[in-house]
Amino acid sequence: MRTRHFRVACRTAGATAVLLLAVLAAPPRAQAVSVVKAKAAKTESVTSGKWLATVSPTTLTFTTNTAQTSTVANTGTIALTAISYKVTISNPVTGTPTFTLFVCPVAWSGGTCSGGAGTQIGTTYAKSSTITVSSAVVPAIGGNVYLQATSVGVTSSVTMTLGTSISSATQLRAAIRTNQ
Amino acid sequence: MSQDSDTSKSKRRHGRAVIAGLFVVSVGLLTTAGVYAALSGVATGTESVTSGTLNLTLSADVGAGFSNFVPKMAPGDTDNVYVNLNNTGTLATAAGMTLWVAGSPVNALTNGTAAGEGLTVTATQCSVAWTLATGVCSGTTTSILATAQISTFNTAGTAVNLLNIPSLAATVGSVAHVQVSLGLVGTETSTNGVAPSPTIQGLSTTLTYTFTEQQRLGVATNQ
Repeated sequence: MRTRHFRVACRTAGATAVLLLAVLAAPPRAQAVSVVKAKAAKTESVTSGKWLATVSPTTLTFTTNTAQTSTVANTGTIALTAISYKVTISNPVTGTPTFTLFVCPVAWSGGTCSGGAGTQIGTTYAKSSTITVSSAVVPAIGGNVYLQATSVGVTSSVTMTLGTSISSATQLRAAIRTNQ
Repeated sequence: MSQDSDTSKSKRRHGRAVIAGLFVVSVGLLTTAGVYAALSGVATGTESVTSGTLNLTLSADVGAGFSNFVPKMAPGDTDNVYVNLNNTGTLATAAGMTLWVAGSPVNALTNGTAAGEGLTVTATQCSVAWTLATGVCSGTTTSILATAQISTFNTAGTAVNLLNIPSLAATVGSVAHVQVSLGLVGTETSTNGVAPSPTIQGLSTTLTYTFTEQQRLGVATNQ
């Protein structure tokens, strides 16, 4: 038992000595090769535009054949070439009314657009229908155009609901190419 | 009593073992030192060396260079700027240069959150200075970066490798005349005055273009 302890102690001491010698005798390890890089940086600021248009009021209610108006506003920051309108006519209790829609770049006055009829959007709209039409008469950025809806054959309450949509693919100004 | 005696003897033997180990270590250390001391000799010589420099500068070629795109950008718009990449150091560069473009703040213009939409960059080298008024190269053009969305190389880790770099500021003193085209891609329909979500509309960001070059390979000289 005592002899075994002695042998273990000797082996431990010997191994330690060999390890130390190996560490001391080993050549220094080569340093990792570094690579120099150079950078150059500059900044550029950019802001994207918005293509938005609202219509107000969105719902026109007809109880007689009296023309009604609504205002379209360009609330975006990009010039437009066209606006699409989604026109929905409700189903009245009685009658078979039809509707037409006109746009004017100035406010309607006495039912006329600067003395004229304005520009028609689409053709006629029947009751209980939804159709999307497009108009190239558009408001400038921050500006308005004005709609007037007229009806024929209204005998009971019927509504025209208007919505707008603008597609960046086809309804924005031409692309700008800048060299600076 | 007998047990105490045995324990005492055992401790003494362990002590002797440790002392023996330390003795061996000491001998080893002394031997090593002695060997080194025996091999040490002094001989001196002189050698002069100068390290090279690796500098890359980015400046305007014609026009303002990187600055601000003033109009509100719409899909399809392009903003061209003209810059010079100049290797002003004394070391040639390796055949490889990278570019990454970071946006601050990060938004859909640069991070790809609006799928298929956002800012793009195209880079083209001209053998001579660009003509600012027309954006035309009167010499030979070389594409160094095909149109790529910034969202794909908006960090140092995703920096894109520029093409045809051997001709781009690769040698000492060489200048590359580069047109950097910033574009905006996207197809969005806004409804009733509301943009879709996510959107690229109405966002601002400041882009930092970082070009990085690397030194040429190390040269082994025998002289």
